[in-house]
Amino acid sequence: MVDYVIETRNLSKKYSKDLVVDSLNMHVEKGKIYGLLGKNGAGKTTTMCMLLNLTYPSAGEILLFGKDPKKHSKEIYSRVGSIIETPGFYENLSAYENLKIVSKLRGDFDPYCIKSVLEMVNLEDAKSKKYKDFSLGMKQRLGIAAAIMHNPDLLILDEPINGLDPFGIKEIRALLKRLSHEFGITILISSHILSEIENIADVIGFMDEGVLIEEISKGDLHNKLDKFVEFEVSDVDLAVMILEKLELKENKDFTYANSGIIRLHSNLALRDKFNALFVKSGIDVRKVNLCEENLEDFFTRMINNN
Amino acid sequence: MLTFIEMEFLKLKRSNIFLLSLIGAITPPLLMFIAVFAFGEANSFEALFTNVNMYMSAIFAVLLFSIIISYLFGREYNEHTLKTMLTIPISRGKFLMSKYVMFLAWVLILTAVTSISTAILGFILGLEGFTLKLFIDSFAQLLYANVLLFLTFSPFVFLSLFITNMVPAMVGGAGLTLVNLMVYSQSWAPYVPWVCPYLIASGEIAIYSAGVDVSYGVILATFLIGLAISYIYFTKKDVTL
Repeated sequence: MVDYVIETRNLSKKYSKDLVVDSLNMHVEKGKIYGLLGKNGAGKTTTMCMLLNLTYPSAGEILLFGKDPKKHSKEIYSRVGSIIETPGFYENLSAYENLKIVSKLRGDFDPYCIKSVLEMVNLEDAKSKKYKDFSLGMKQRLGIAAAIMHNPDLLILDEPINGLDPFGIKEIRALLKRLSHEFGITILISSHILSEIENIADVIGFMDEGVLIEEISKGDLHNKLDKFVEFEVSDVDLAVMILEKLELKENKDFTYANSGIIRLHSNLALRDKFNALFVKSGIDVRKVNLCEENLEDFFTRMINNN
Repeated sequence: MLTFIEMEFLKLKRSNIFLLSLIGAITPPLLMFIAVFAFGEANSFEALFTNVNMYMSAIFAVLLFSIIISYLFGREYNEHTLKTMLTIPISRGKFLMSKYVMFLAWVLILTAVTSISTAILGFILGLEGFTLKLFIDSFAQLLYANVLLFLTFSPFVFLSLFITNMVPAMVGGAGLTLVNLMVYSQSWAPYVPWVCPYLIASGEIAIYSAGVDVSYGVILATFLIGLAISYIYFTKKDVTL
């Protein structure tokens, strides 16, 4: 039986007439990095807020570590670290003081632990600096420090790389991977940046207009990505005629553009034969590429299908 | 709860509002100091303490307390720290209660600052009649008035949760100050929650036809209604990010 750290059953959230999360059934396995991918306004943040009890669901059920968080609130949430949108800290206080408040209220204050977590996110030199003087990237790092300071079993991170420079993104990505793979921490991370999710996640959940369209592991994703052969030819009309004579259907088996590109979506194994036929008919074939759909195209296709 | 209060004090470190509230607490004594110096307004410690207590608890504290309350609650929204605090996790009820206790602690500090600064300014003016008993009685009177006034501010807690901006609370506080000035000598003053704390603490309530019990009832009802609506609102409402 699969051990789910997060499981939702028909989770919904309605604001007056707007259904922002619609019957969400999410499954986050223990020790995995689950990337929640969706456009702005897809319902990612609302979902995370419901998981963290910041927003109350209109319907449905949440199970964290197999338990109802309403009944075991303190036990469950003390095992969770989180960042929702931009981290929130007291602007008049330093990084150290802000982390001290969090850890004191959690009941696990340890100055050494704060020091080491600040080192981990490269903020050791800024520990006495006031939060209001932090750059956006530094604020984000402090948020991550607060989220991981108590060695949680689950991290819920909403757009944690917002505002980070490429170097910072790389560092945080490496840190999250390390937390997951070395320490077995389960991570739910949301982003609208497809490449980031593709880089980091073991499982990807595609969300659009409040609906979780699909949950798919990275391995399965590659099987599901549309593969096609792209021909660049000198006479598209003639090439299309040849394909149609072979009973291939436009928009189903192939698509084409007037720029001389024909994409073959079926019968990929016969690409050599099609090529030979084109050449025999006097068409110059400039390029033949076997291509795989990228995550962006896959995401767009899924949304369109939805 | 002690840790909560300790952390609430830490949150005030380098806080301009805390310093401004201290300045606010010495404003009535300072104004009286100027009045005595320029116009001979009070010529004894007793008169100085009486006047300061009246100006503070009946007029100035209303504005000061509304600013403090809106800051205590509003900053958690404005600095987006509420989501951080509640996911620690802290129960919403406990969080609300710690804020009330912190507000009370802040009121006690301001009361002490007002009384001590009044005594110091009285000595600078060279007023006569200072006794320790007078100081303690005056402090107790101001403390009692301010604690009763604290109870009447629970509706402001709701207002601060509902509109997280400081401006409405400040406008409300300024409005109430004016109301207090207008109704202070009216026969129905004991029915106004923000006037009766001073009337009770100073004993002036005796000159009104309404009994002191009515004023206590008004204060208690205001407190309970404010507490109930702020608790229900805070525990039932989604956290605004």
